Amino acid sequence: MVPNLTNYLFLSEIMQAKAGQFFSSGHTNNWAVLVCTSRFWFNYRHVANTLSVYRSVKRLGIPDSHIVLMLADDMACNHRNPKPATVFSHKNMELNVYGDDVEVDYRGYEVTVENFLRVLTGRLPPSTPRSKRLLSDDHSNILIYLTGTHTQMECGYNELLFIIDTCQGASMYERFYSPNLMALASSQVGEDSLSHQPDLAIGVHLMDRYTFYLLEFLEDIHPASTANMNDLFKVCPKSQCVSTPGHRTDLFLRDSGNVLITDFFGSVRKVEITMETINLTAPMVHLAVERPVSELKTESQSYVDQLPVAEIIHQKPKQRDWHPPDGFILGLWTLILLVFFKTYGAKHLKHIF
Amino acid sequence: MVENNVDTTGYTLFWFHRLMIFYGLLFVVVEGLALLDLGVSPYAGDVFHETPLIIYFFHFVIDYAEIVFMMADALTAVALYLAVKDYNKTVFRKQKYALEAERYPLDCLELIRTPKEMYYIPLKVAMFYLLNPFTILSCVAKSTCGLNNAVIALFILCTVKGSSLMSAIFLALATYQSIYPLTLFAPALLYLLQRLYIPVNWQRSSFWLFTTQYTFMYLGSLCVMVCLSFFLLSSWDFLSSVYGFILSVPDLTPNIGLFWYFFAEMFEHFRLFFICVFQINVFFYTIPLSIKLKEHPIFLIFMQIAIISIFKSYPTVGDIALYMAFLPAWNHLYRFLRNIFLVSVVLLACSALFPVLWHLWIYAGSANSNFYYAITLLFNVAQILLVSDYFYAYLRREHHLTHGLYLKRKDGSEATLVLK
Repeated sequence: MVPNLTNYLFLSEIMQAKAGQFFSSGHTNNWAVLVCTSRFWFNYRHVANTLSVYRSVKRLGIPDSHIVLMLADDMACNHRNPKPATVFSHKNMELNVYGDDVEVDYRGYEVTVENFLRVLTGRLPPSTPRSKRLLSDDHSNILIYLTGTHTQMECGYNELLFIIDTCQGASMYERFYSPNLMALASSQVGEDSLSHQPDLAIGVHLMDRYTFYLLEFLEDIHPASTANMNDLFKVCPKSQCVSTPGHRTDLFLRDSGNVLITDFFGSVRKVEITMETINLTAPMVHLAVERPVSELKTESQSYVDQLPVAEIIHQKPKQRDWHPPDGFILGLWTLILLVFFKTYGAKHLKHIF
Repeated sequence: MVENNVDTTGYTLFWFHRLMIFYGLLFVVVEGLALLDLGVSPYAGDVFHETPLIIYFFHFVIDYAEIVFMMADALTAVALYLAVKDYNKTVFRKQKYALEAERYPLDCLELIRTPKEMYYIPLKVAMFYLLNPFTILSCVAKSTCGLNNAVIALFILCTVKGSSLMSAIFLALATYQSIYPLTLFAPALLYLLQRLYIPVNWQRSSFWLFTTQYTFMYLGSLCVMVCLSFFLLSSWDFLSSVYGFILSVPDLTPNIGLFWYFFAEMFEHFRLFFICVFQINVFFYTIPLSIKLKEHPIFLIFMQIAIISIFKSYPTVGDIALYMAFLPAWNHLYRFLRNIFLVSVVLLACSALFPVLWHLWIYAGSANSNFYYAITLLFNVAQILLVSDYFYAYLRREHHLTHGLYLKRKDGSEATLVLK
């Protein structure tokens, strides 16, 4: 990542400021830990919550390899599901959040408090596969989304966003003391987090209110969006959520107005294309690689010329390399002619010659 | 294969008919030609088992493959039409002589065939072949079975017309393609002898003369074809890949034949013995049938083709379509057929069940090969029943024509005929 870039970039004084801006957010990769801890069919909505957040996060760019998805029960293949292999988050079954490409890393009875803490702290048995590990480093932004139930982080992280959609969610984040942590909860201590909408065909509630409005908000976010955390705090006021969502930003170093949503929910890479070479000074290490600009230009032109456009437009039929030997053709057709004349008499010869 | 994502009917049709036709498919030929273009013998991979003349033929027409197969089917239908028309004339002539010689008992005159009822038979034969779903499947699957059928139909045409050279050449071509039409040598010989009024008598020299002539023509053409194939590819690989493949049955892909299941569970120790048994089984019926049906060679051809398509090592539904095309020619036997309902229902049911059980076995995984082989067995049993039913009806009619329609035992009570 950063060390590789420095092999090829040289910073000039004009570019220095730009580079500073380029590396401003401090993180280079994003992780998400999405947990649903409730079991049984009537807790369908918690699984739908988690899968909706999973879907949004994937849409904004975080790959499956960087998502740890923990679902305590299988709603899609539950025998009470009238539409098997689907989990719907909106009534009238508008949106199937289960889809074809859901990768659940912890399922069923593997979702326990102990496993959750082990994932976050990294203290897993050596035989655990990579898909079940949180392999974050100190440049990772982590999103943790908990729903369904009711700790201190020791895993490596750059910044952490904690979202809790449970009853009395604020009680979780009141205990946090790790640095660089932002937390959102759907309800205060003493309040209950309420479910949003039942679906009469499936027979259970599909979503919780807070997550429903959170996801409505997230649907408007795309990878290039500049919405910041202050907008996220405004999601689901008391009039819509009935419970009072709360948030905690005192442990966070940056101002929440400067933090983009996509810093946590998406895996947005900053890419800047430049035609000039940029010198990066210390502490970044650089190697002397000269690449004159003119060479780049000529290369691009010759590439265009090399494209065989004429051949592509006029598709010629395949050339066949094998041809039957001449002796064979001669022999075969002589025989055929002989048989023909034997059968029908030599009087037809005059028609040929 | 995910059935939910299949949109095009062509794709489903491909997989459906893939179930019943496994051999001689066009993509195999394409692969053989591609290997040739790369400078490798097409028999090097173990997929291509077609004869070199097919390679030569398809080298030119590979881009128009569908048209070729459609034309082959049309050619077969036309050849069958002309052959049956000529055969009907022969039948009439024989009937006329027999009537004049008063060989028929008086009460079996209702069994005599009239021109009126026989007028549409050639057309029916051609339509039976063209409109048979098996033929259509075989054409859509682009299987070289269509070409084999065309050659056999042309052979039948030449035999019926009486041209022994052409008949020998087409028979040699059919044998060259797959070995089994060798059994059609005997009925062709019998028919040609009959046509030339040479009695089948072991002491007569004219019989031996004609037989040797025909044999020489046949064997000579066969040798010429094999040598031409050698010159095409400059190697003798094709002998083991084509004939060795047919005779030693190395490929046990499930098909509608009887070999695959048996040999899949066979111990290596006994394999050679049972291969010999199975292969002899195909050729074995020729001699007894020829002796019984020496007066009726065309019916013998029908029975031989049926036996080949039931007992050959790699049957496809195209072979079945060929002998089924002949059924309208034996319309007059309808009153003597005993199992027609059972046979037709079983054939229909089995044809419907083949893809179902294949899907259950291979894709759903809830059945196993026994299910599919059961249907294969049932299908072949139904075919055997069909053929033996027609055989019974034919012999019974002949018996009635010589002994009268209402049979009486020695004491005068009514008797029935039983096929022993």
